[in-house]
Amino acid sequence: MAETDLPSPRWAKLLDQSRCIGCHACTTACKSENEVPVGVTRTYVKSVDVGTFPQARRAFQVTRCNQCEDAPCVAACPTEAMYRRPDGIVDFDKRICIGCKACMAACPYDAIFINPEDHSAEKCNLCAHRLDIGLEPACVTVCPTEAIIVGDLGDPASEVSRVVSREPVQVRRPEKGTRPGVYYKGAHAATLDPLAARRPGGGLFAWATQGREPAGGRSPASQRAPQTVTSGHPGRGTSQAAALLSYDVPHQVPWGWRVSLYTWTKSVAAGGFAVPVLLAGAGYLGWGNDVVRWAAPLLALAFLAVTGALLVADLKHPARFYLIFTRRHWRSWLVRGAVILGGFGAIAAAYLAASLAGAGAGTARQGLGWAGLPLALAAAVYTAFLFGQAKGRDLWQSPLLAPHLAVQAALAGAAAVLPLLAWLAPGRAVTADQAVLAVAAGVHAALVAGEVAQPHATAHARLAVHEMTLGSQRLPFGISVVLTLAAVAAPWIGTPAAALALAGLLGYEHAYVQAGQRVPLA
Amino acid sequence: MTDELEELGRRVSAAREAAEARGETFYQGASRVHLAAFPPRERWDDWVELSSRAWPAREEKHYMLVPTTCFNCESACGLLAYVDRESGQVRKFEGNPEHPGSRGRNCAKGPATINQVTDPDRILYPLRRSGPRGGGGWERISWDEALDALAARIRAALLESRQNEIMVHIGRPGEDGFTERVLASWGVDGHNSHTNVCSSGGRTGFQFWMGIDRPSPDHANAAVIYLISAHLEAGHYFNPHAQRITQARENGAKVIVVDTRLSNTATHADYWLSPQPGSEAAINLAIANHLIQTGAYDREFVRRWWNWAEYLTACHPQVPVTFEAFEEILSGLYAEFTFEFAAAESGIPAETLAEVADVVAAAGHRFSCHSWRSAAAGNLGGWQVSRTLFLISALLGAVATPGGTFPNAWNKFVPRPIHVPPHPGVWQELSWPLEYPLAQNEMSFLLPHFLKDGRGRLDTYFIRVYNPVWTNPDGLSWMEVLREESLVGCFVALTPTWNESAYFADYVLPMGVGSERHDTHSYEQYDGQWIAFRQPVLRAARARRGEPVADTREVNPGEVWEENEFWIELSWRIDPDGSLGIRRYYESVERPGEKLTVDEYYGWMFSHSVPGLPERAAAEGMTPLEWMRRYGAFEISRGQGAVHEQEVPSAELRDVSVDPFGRVYTSAPAPADPNIVPQGAPSPDDEGRRPAGVMIDGVVRRGFPTPSGRLEFWSSTLAGWGWPEHALPGYIRSHVHPSELAADQVVLLSTFRLPTQIHTRSANAKWLDELAHTNPVWIHPRDAARFGIARTGDLVRVETEIGYFVAKAWITEGIRPGVVACSHHMGRWRLDGGPRGAGAMTATVGLRRSPGGWAMERRAPAGPYRSADPDSQRIWWSDTGVHQNLTFAVHPDPISGMHCWHQAVRVRPAGPGDKHGDIAVDTAKAHEVYQRWLARTRPAGSVSPDGTRRPRWLMRPVKPAAAAFALPAGPAPGGQARAAGADGPVR
Repeated sequence: MAETDLPSPRWAKLLDQSRCIGCHACTTACKSENEVPVGVTRTYVKSVDVGTFPQARRAFQVTRCNQCEDAPCVAACPTEAMYRRPDGIVDFDKRICIGCKACMAACPYDAIFINPEDHSAEKCNLCAHRLDIGLEPACVTVCPTEAIIVGDLGDPASEVSRVVSREPVQVRRPEKGTRPGVYYKGAHAATLDPLAARRPGGGLFAWATQGREPAGGRSPASQRAPQTVTSGHPGRGTSQAAALLSYDVPHQVPWGWRVSLYTWTKSVAAGGFAVPVLLAGAGYLGWGNDVVRWAAPLLALAFLAVTGALLVADLKHPARFYLIFTRRHWRSWLVRGAVILGGFGAIAAAYLAASLAGAGAGTARQGLGWAGLPLALAAAVYTAFLFGQAKGRDLWQSPLLAPHLAVQAALAGAAAVLPLLAWLAPGRAVTADQAVLAVAAGVHAALVAGEVAQPHATAHARLAVHEMTLGSQRLPFGISVVLTLAAVAAPWIGTPAAALALAGLLGYEHAYVQAGQRVPLA
Repeated sequence: MTDELEELGRRVSAAREAAEARGETFYQGASRVHLAAFPPRERWDDWVELSSRAWPAREEKHYMLVPTTCFNCESACGLLAYVDRESGQVRKFEGNPEHPGSRGRNCAKGPATINQVTDPDRILYPLRRSGPRGGGGWERISWDEALDALAARIRAALLESRQNEIMVHIGRPGEDGFTERVLASWGVDGHNSHTNVCSSGGRTGFQFWMGIDRPSPDHANAAVIYLISAHLEAGHYFNPHAQRITQARENGAKVIVVDTRLSNTATHADYWLSPQPGSEAAINLAIANHLIQTGAYDREFVRRWWNWAEYLTACHPQVPVTFEAFEEILSGLYAEFTFEFAAAESGIPAETLAEVADVVAAAGHRFSCHSWRSAAAGNLGGWQVSRTLFLISALLGAVATPGGTFPNAWNKFVPRPIHVPPHPGVWQELSWPLEYPLAQNEMSFLLPHFLKDGRGRLDTYFIRVYNPVWTNPDGLSWMEVLREESLVGCFVALTPTWNESAYFADYVLPMGVGSERHDTHSYEQYDGQWIAFRQPVLRAARARRGEPVADTREVNPGEVWEENEFWIELSWRIDPDGSLGIRRYYESVERPGEKLTVDEYYGWMFSHSVPGLPERAAAEGMTPLEWMRRYGAFEISRGQGAVHEQEVPSAELRDVSVDPFGRVYTSAPAPADPNIVPQGAPSPDDEGRRPAGVMIDGVVRRGFPTPSGRLEFWSSTLAGWGWPEHALPGYIRSHVHPSELAADQVVLLSTFRLPTQIHTRSANAKWLDELAHTNPVWIHPRDAARFGIARTGDLVRVETEIGYFVAKAWITEGIRPGVVACSHHMGRWRLDGGPRGAGAMTATVGLRRSPGGWAMERRAPAGPYRSADPDSQRIWWSDTGVHQNLTFAVHPDPISGMHCWHQAVRVRPAGPGDKHGDIAVDTAKAHEVYQRWLARTRPAGSVSPDGTRRPRWLMRPVKPAAAAFALPAGPAPGGQARAAGADGPVR
């Protein structure tokens, strides 16, 4: 830095819960300043009733973006629409947001939402538009008890610096390694841990309801809109002291059925290409067999097309999907994945061209087949890294997720080609494929069993597994277990096992993708 | 930073260096850094901000900043409207840093004012009903039609001496005195208020002590803050007080909170006491007794300022009138109020009470306290809660001390207006019946019963910011009466938005919200005096741009008006030729014969009656009105101090007489005072000399506006008007005392507030509705088990003495076992087929006659709907709570007149046919309950010591002329309804 340059400030915010009276002035001042629609919030005050009468209290948490130094949303954003300014503010540019919701999935605090008016992601940005003209953020200005202040951590004379350095302060979820720039003073453990407090029943909070509910009033959780995540622990909560969530806002699941389905179509594409090529390579099939020559590339291309269509359809700005390539942010696995899928699609297309060219291109096609294998594998497993960028979603942080996705691709591929083999190449290729299917199903079942049985280190992961197996996802999960186990018997059942395996896999992937997002983060 | 930004910074940065370099105001914010909390006031004409929506594109927006005052509660916090210079519309509201009470800060309801401005359901044009009352048919009419029709009715009533058939019923006034003077100018005692369902109980206790009915706690400087109820987040002046309480906590003050439910305030208490409802006065007395027994009270203060001599003379004639003799008696007066007694009454352990009492004792003069609604409004005898609370202050000598509690009149300034009409010569018995000679305010909530009893009728009845069907107990009796044209000839609703009462009106006349109307106000929020100005901000903005506006309708949405201009115009049309003597109070002084404008009204007030303002304005080259339009609030003084200690100047003492207890009367006229703040008006002596002060140790000091001039430990008024047993601060067992409850009954607290809503006033604010929209019944787990309520969310039936409501259960550790609680903001409804009401908060209901009275059922919940505001399609909640007040009978306290809100109820799991929101009410039973409570009174006809209806010195809105105070000849309506207790000793 040149000597004449003023050092950029390092903005930090202090939320002093020892002064907060839970009045929600910050909530509406923010709505007003930033024109935030009904149904979404940049900031609000969560409250937890702690203790038992008469030793009880209501603990508050002003809940919002944490302005992380290592912001998972920034890493996950494919277009750098979400970015960190030199002064520490994690800001966003709605003009280049494609609405992929990767930032929402990535945020360990569930502080980002899609604005229903402009369909772009937004969150608290410390009122950067005010800071830049010398004004305090709207929530700071409005707060009756001066419980919210901002300051420059680089300026030791600032009040924020003094408190952060001299007083016991906390940040939310430090174990996520995000290095938040928002500090809490006097916050209660029962608010800082999103799973500390028990979720009340009956769709109620103390003076509000938990989320969209059907007309008529009473609404068991299962009847509420499927995309709503209600805060609080559905069981006992992790707090040793009695703790009941008394207020929170409705939260939405970032990724719905399209993303669940995409993981499945992608597995079919990858496996549908790789399994015939491997069968050919291992000598179970001739390279000229129709399954190898036509089915492999067509399965890959068709399912990649569906995959791409699903991904684009899931964007809140589908017309901006090209920004993934033109404004690509390499750290985002969404970008890397798009490139991998593109590369895999290109190889598959070339392979198909070679098939069309006929026998003369046989050698080239073999080469393309071998070259396609690593890309098929990458296409299958990159989602593990994409999900891994969702730092708050503990279920998705498993090191076994990548190999598991490879196994799922093998399962999907073996299943997808089985009826084709039975039709076009009866004989030992079918037997081999049935064996692959049986083994893949068995390994998949074992990995799932391990996932379920393994003692998870975090309450979040335990709750996610609970959501998958016994909670909101129990139906698809239960079906998937039955069907997958049935598919292990492929050598005996034959072709029908393919349908069982594919349906089972679809059920599992949906349960897994959704359960990972069903655990409250706020 | 970019060059562009640096350029912008040079032009408009509010940061310290940039602002100060330009010689402009830097508003230091909470962060104490170079950032400003607000734009420099020198730039309020054209402030440039960056658009938050276009961000990070730096799109500049130009605003004119215009101050006004929030109208969402009684705190009157300052707001700054950001008027978009391009569109001419308000973009947002922030706080006003020039407001001395709120100091730029607001609660959630301040910014939400913009929701009310843009509310898609608001009423934009005057409407007249077409079809039967309550039938839902409406036609748009012109203001002229409405004004002429109403003026003709009122004129006819006045000409026919039917003054008492005109009534204006006001909810939250939000202003100081304008409407009262309108009624006085008509010669009508027609002011009715909401106060007796609100703060009368709290006021009564303070009034009998100091002749002033509100406390003004100096929280910021207190060492111990004693709060009865949730004053940090929901009480009177919550934002201004929360600021100062938090400031005191920062300085080490201890906070004691007496609140049965777990409020946000209780959360921040050093001592949270959750008492059995109704036992609050017993707790206060146990603390007082501790101070007395341990000698921890300020003897000098008690000796100098209490009326102990008068007490001894009246009640202990056998003992010498010495302070020592008084102390001797005092030491025995409260001896029964031991910590153990208070523990038995309240359920709070005696050790805790003892600890709290020690904390209080250590506070000395830095003890601030507050009691307003809550317990004082909940219980029979609730007024003794504030009377016993102030006993603690009076024992400690923490009265008008730094960190103590002031009489509010010393911290409030009501400027004298351009015209002051005389006291009306009539007495409105529908509001001030003989049964309640000491009622703090109008017996408003008994009106339907009085009308049913044939005590009178109303020709023209206005409601203003008031929703009697919804707000009052026993709303269906209101509905029955309001539907009856023989009882209420013409019913006019002045309101910005539809409400449960307006559905039954004949005229619905749209009035502006907080940024669309003129008012002035001044509230006691610290030891100082300020006035604030509410104004139609677009009118002020146009005026600032050199385009004066003569009528607020020109800038308001549709044809929405404001009350002040409406009242001026209506009064003019009532008396167009001036023959009734009304018109002169609406005539211009500058242009005789012409109509007064609001500009002249406020211009005159700010120029003549606000000390210091003309000089301040002149220094900035403005008229006082221009200055107030620009800055919105003005601090007149700070540090009033102990006004009672001020020596009365000798110029005021002429032909002096002194009564045996030191009350000093003078023949010298009172010095002109531009401050006409309401307070007690002690009577002159027999020769007509006015009370000027009180002799304390040989010096004539200003004293208090009580009959004795001192703090009245013993109230000669209570003793003389039939209640000698309650003349001292004491403990009256509540109507919901455990001894009054059946084994299966619990107490329902029905009045608790949330910081995000305000009665029926805020339902037209979508952000507030989103934050808080339902009111489940809080039940302790132990009670839930006892009643067989399994889970939160299960439906419960809450049975009152006249009916029941069906609500959801909220099972919580935040409530005392044996008590249930239900917040009162929710349960808004509209009749099927009627206007929408506040769409985000209103359920559609069916209401039908049932064998037992009335039955209401929910037909459709709130939900998304299409409107001009896309947000109305995003309403994600449907449960808007239950309207519990419908199921409450009236409980008028026989002394204060306060409705005693707490209910003895049975709670049981809902039956198979019960649906959420169901309500059943038997209004015949409600009338019986009213009669039972009426029988507790001691009517003026039997107890009045001097042939008047009411002690003249007591405060009273639109106080009638002396002659009207005389008891009527012949048997009075209340004469035969004498209660057994009325035979008690009358001194």
